[in-house]
Amino acid sequence: MGIKAVFVAALATITVSVLVAQPFRAAESNATLTAVPGIKVGHFTLSERPTGCTVILVDGDAVGGVSQQGGAPGTRETDLLNPLNMVDKVNAIVLAGGSAFGLEAATGTVRWLEEHNIGWPAGASRVPIVPAAILFDLGVGGNPKVRPTADCGYKAAAAATTAPVPEGTVGAGAGATVGKFGGPGRSMKAGIGSASIVLPSGLIVAAIVAVNAVGDIIDPATGKVVAGVRNPDGTLADARKILRDGGTRQTPRAGENTTIGVVATNAKLSKSLAARMALMADDGYARAISPSHTNGDGDTIFSLATGQWDGNADITVIGALAAEVVADAIVRAATQATGVAGIPAARDLRK
Amino acid sequence: MTRTMAVLLLAAVPACTRAPSDNPTLTAVDGILVGHHTLAERPTGCTVILADGVVVAGVSQRGSAPGTRDTDPLEPVNGADRVDAVVLSGGSAFGLDVANGVMRWIDEGHGPWALRPTDVPIVPAAVLIDLWVGGKPSIRPAADCGYRAAGAASRAPVAEGTVGAGAGATVGKLTGLDRAMKGGIGSAAVALPGGLRVAALAAVNALGDVIDPASGTVVAGARADDGSLRDVRKLLRTGAPLQRTRVAENTTLAVVATNAHLTKAEANRVALMADAGIARAVTPAHTTADGDTVFALATGRWSGRADTNEIGALAADVLAAAIVRAVKQATTVAGIPAARDIK
Repeated sequence: MGIKAVFVAALATITVSVLVAQPFRAAESNATLTAVPGIKVGHFTLSERPTGCTVILVDGDAVGGVSQQGGAPGTRETDLLNPLNMVDKVNAIVLAGGSAFGLEAATGTVRWLEEHNIGWPAGASRVPIVPAAILFDLGVGGNPKVRPTADCGYKAAAAATTAPVPEGTVGAGAGATVGKFGGPGRSMKAGIGSASIVLPSGLIVAAIVAVNAVGDIIDPATGKVVAGVRNPDGTLADARKILRDGGTRQTPRAGENTTIGVVATNAKLSKSLAARMALMADDGYARAISPSHTNGDGDTIFSLATGQWDGNADITVIGALAAEVVADAIVRAATQATGVAGIPAARDLRK
Repeated sequence: MTRTMAVLLLAAVPACTRAPSDNPTLTAVDGILVGHHTLAERPTGCTVILADGVVVAGVSQRGSAPGTRDTDPLEPVNGADRVDAVVLSGGSAFGLDVANGVMRWIDEGHGPWALRPTDVPIVPAAVLIDLWVGGKPSIRPAADCGYRAAGAASRAPVAEGTVGAGAGATVGKLTGLDRAMKGGIGSAAVALPGGLRVAALAAVNALGDVIDPASGTVVAGARADDGSLRDVRKLLRTGAPLQRTRVAENTTLAVVATNAHLTKAEANRVALMADAGIARAVTPAHTTADGDTVFALATGRWSGRADTNEIGALAADVLAAAIVRAVKQATTVAGIPAARDIK
């Protein structure tokens, strides 16, 4: 495993050097968040229950932002990301299952970063800056006392690499489900997904999203439901139709949902523009999840700008691409998931 | 499409429910009146939404280049517990003057409700930026526009297209103003069998293209040399050169309304959720050159109960439908073609 990880990391390093010369090929070899140089991702999935955490490590500095639009958030260090506030560098972002308990995962990531002398200079010490957001998966697959702890955040940080990010029922997406607008027993399994866009100019925008929405997952390119509320016969019901018909539905509860993600670019952005990037990226939630931003969703998306690319791109382009890759990542979170605990995934419906 | 869905849906509505098949616009919501005034000198104007009774309001302001007035009172921590009217106007920040005329009209006692002498009308407003359309940028909606639009307000189905705040609205400006298409004002409504109604009105002047979320296809937007639609989503993904985005040319404004009872905090959640309708029907949305703003109004005329999430989800749905209608109902002005003219 250790040797394999080193090999994958070496391979990814080669990929990155190829990327500098020939952007398009690099995108094909790594269509995930780690297509952005300087970004590493590690998952840790618990074996006792389908839950886990995902750590996004920044190798070097990145400016961060956040858009928090859902009505039931669980977050840490989001106030720090307000452009009015001082600290403008982020060392890692933690996405975790386990409801508010899962915020503890960030504690482990902070410990790992401190051991590696990474953090905001504060006198003699360095304070790791680790914003985090959690999703609510306590009802999935057995003992709700099992949730990601500091150990999860430490192990995921230690496992982080520049390799293409594994997707589906893993890390923060291990216990994630969607399509809960029709009540219990009609939901579907989703997970964590990732996508990237590399332009000929060298601009890269990429996203990772753990999708645990109340709503259905929609492919914005076609308007079709990918995963969501099921009819009694197991076919997709389409939450949009249920709503318009005033049909049976369940009031979303704040203990079951939330979509959390990170969108990253190699462009250089001010803290204000990083916040705008996160806000525009949030449109990807609106397009790929219906309904989105409910009172029962803690929808949150972080942005990271590494500034390693010295080209110029308008924030409108970066923000628009951010929304596109976020929507792509959400669709992949549904298509790459595998069923767990009797909850079927999109790939099971296709059989 | 959405209109058809609404009609199909309403076929199943019991006779006791007044179906908005005869009025699938914002005024399908009891307690809401709408009036337009369009200037003759240049394609611009204003639209006034009057609130009859105690109407609770919220706002979502997500575009980066807003022009607004009295949005702060709508914060749940602030005092205003009702609004009297909402103004949408062309004319850039100059157009905020329109709200003065609406206040005067209400203060003179013309409203559908009785004011006490000490009452101060609460009239939030937002503007879109259309000064470049049709020459003479010094022509813009003033207080008189608001006074007349308020006087013209009625419960009749709302006129759509190149009228009121949508008169000078355009879309699809990412590859330059010479490739833009005409935007406008559009409206849509949904009525559930239980009596809940949710409706939207949108003045669409976006930098981006307008997308029909039901199919993913572009309805109006940036045009190619041959006049066909280019689809800015594809352009963005290939890194094709775009026109430098400018603040002075964009902004989508909307009002969503429901007959449900909502608290002020709930009205703000509905505005926030409704904003997803802009994200779905406009690409890109919420840019640094758009002042995108959504107001939510709750008239409380319906005594039934509905979940805030349901109302917010329907609000996003009808707002997207209203945006699509805005460009479909628009007509060509000042050489800027409308969707109906390029088919």
